Amino acid sequence: MGFKHQKVALALSAPAIIMMFVILIIPILIALWLSFTSYSLGSPLIEWVGWENYEKIFTRSSYQKMLGATITYVLVVVPASVFLGLGAALLINSLRFGRDIYKTIYFLPVMAALLAMAIVWEFTLHPTIGMINDTLTIGCDSGFWYPLLTGAWLGIDPVTSWYGKSCSDGFPLWLGDRDYALWTICFIGIWQAFGFNMVLYLAGLTSVPRELNQAAEMDGARTAWNRFWLVTWPMLGPTTVFVVTITMIRSFQVFDTVEALTEGGPVKSTYVMMYAIFEKAIRQNLVGMGAAITVIFLLFVMVLTLSQRYLVERKVHYS
Amino acid sequence: MNQPNIIFRESLKHAILMAGAVIVILPFYVMLSYSLKSPKEIETNTGGFFGDQAPMVDEYCVKLGNAVDECTEIPVVFNYTQAFKKAPLLRYLLNGVIVTASIFLFQVLISVPAAYALAKLRWWGRDVVFGLVLFCLLIPVHAIALPLYIMLAKVGLVNTYAALIIPWTISVFGIFLMRQFFMTVPDDLIDAARMDGMSELSIVWKVMLPTAVPALMAFAIFSVVAHWNDYFWPRVVITGNRDLFTPPLGLREFKGDADGSAWGPMMATATIIVTPLIVAFLLAQKKFIEGITLSGMK
Repeated sequence: MGFKHQKVALALSAPAIIMMFVILIIPILIALWLSFTSYSLGSPLIEWVGWENYEKIFTRSSYQKMLGATITYVLVVVPASVFLGLGAALLINSLRFGRDIYKTIYFLPVMAALLAMAIVWEFTLHPTIGMINDTLTIGCDSGFWYPLLTGAWLGIDPVTSWYGKSCSDGFPLWLGDRDYALWTICFIGIWQAFGFNMVLYLAGLTSVPRELNQAAEMDGARTAWNRFWLVTWPMLGPTTVFVVTITMIRSFQVFDTVEALTEGGPVKSTYVMMYAIFEKAIRQNLVGMGAAITVIFLLFVMVLTLSQRYLVERKVHYS
Repeated sequence: MNQPNIIFRESLKHAILMAGAVIVILPFYVMLSYSLKSPKEIETNTGGFFGDQAPMVDEYCVKLGNAVDECTEIPVVFNYTQAFKKAPLLRYLLNGVIVTASIFLFQVLISVPAAYALAKLRWWGRDVVFGLVLFCLLIPVHAIALPLYIMLAKVGLVNTYAALIIPWTISVFGIFLMRQFFMTVPDDLIDAARMDGMSELSIVWKVMLPTAVPALMAFAIFSVVAHWNDYFWPRVVITGNRDLFTPPLGLREFKGDADGSAWGPMMATATIIVTPLIVAFLLAQKKFIEGITLSGMK
């Protein structure tokens, strides 16, 4: 017995082991080291600056905006796309016919290059020639849509509502408006992500046994709503943990939409971390600073993934 | 529950899902429609989906001193020919194919033997290496783009195909996935191959790999979709050298240069870039959904 295949096994895994170190482990160490320096590419000396870069991240307003924008993005996109993914999966799963067509349509954004679709969204949201504002403007003169959208049918003064105001003062510039830009980027993020979550939930739903639903009904869970909370939701626990983690990790990495549509603006309102690393370290050659952002970024992602593994192993055990 | 109630519920569900579908499809509709229309129709939002396809005059072509007749084209033809003329789109597409294919090839070459060693061979250090794989699964490559970029710059590889490919040659996810799959292959199969005098390396490629075709297919889809659509990494390591642009980079540059008259051609470019994967997806939906959600299996 013993390790009969020692040599051949090492030889077979050597390329993988070497590449794991060169491409994944060593770069992390390099980033960690550079984050304590004021290094820039091409300069001969490397100056040690201690915690200065990290201090800047937590004290300077532009970096605070960066953390704020990133966290806002994650806190908006993750719940929304998980909720929509779950909702779509539940609806589709309960259909009698036409399941596949919705599944296909909702999955399309996952397949399409996000950069291309971001550019199309920019056109669609264009303030003057875009389809969205064009359509919204048409509604302003409509005797049906105007009262409906302004809430006039509920007795609200139409002029005080968002829609009523926009009709008289013009609709938002979306990506060009500091109050709307981040939300618009979030919207594109949700649009792109929820189909993926839906597919994972649909897979999760197939593992919920029918008998369990029937048993719950016998025990008095009469409405679909009660049965959902009693059976389906707990059974989907592991799926939810996974969906939330993977969506979070992806949302943290948002870049394409920001780089192509807003470049972090207006007034840093969409200045997310990946874009900050790109702009600071690669465009402006402030490598030390970029490395510090990289390290914080990695910490976020690793804590997330580790807590997911912990949850999967410990807490989410219903079966 | 009575019959009308069921019908009502079913219709309500369809209504909600259709409303969602409209929003999901909207940008695809806009992209395709704009790629067919003339600049004027785009600006005024007229012409429906297809546009009137009335012949239009290319002002820029006239400015170059050509006769007006020669510069008159149907909008669809104009948009799609301009997409290829204004930028070396064919080159970009070729680069995209070269890069995605090379990445997948290297990922297989590196991860499959390691997965076999981890799944089927007994050796000292196996658990440590598998622990390393599990740790590396935590690291998103995009997140360490900066140190990778510095390393590539130090060895003078920025602006090369190598820079586009090397960071992706190791797929810890691929190792993990293939290992899980190889675990299910019966040992007898391997023993029989050894009796026949096959070397371990040829067992990997001639015995193990053929059994793993479904897993490999799923992994291929996962890998190709991710790298064909990737914008961030090419954006970091390719600076200005158009010959190395991947399709998303080409489109981004197009957007940077675009003026009002180029919207049609730009949407044509976007359509051309997005179409291959969408068509492949529509043809083999099950396989694609499996492949993309593969990261969901544990």
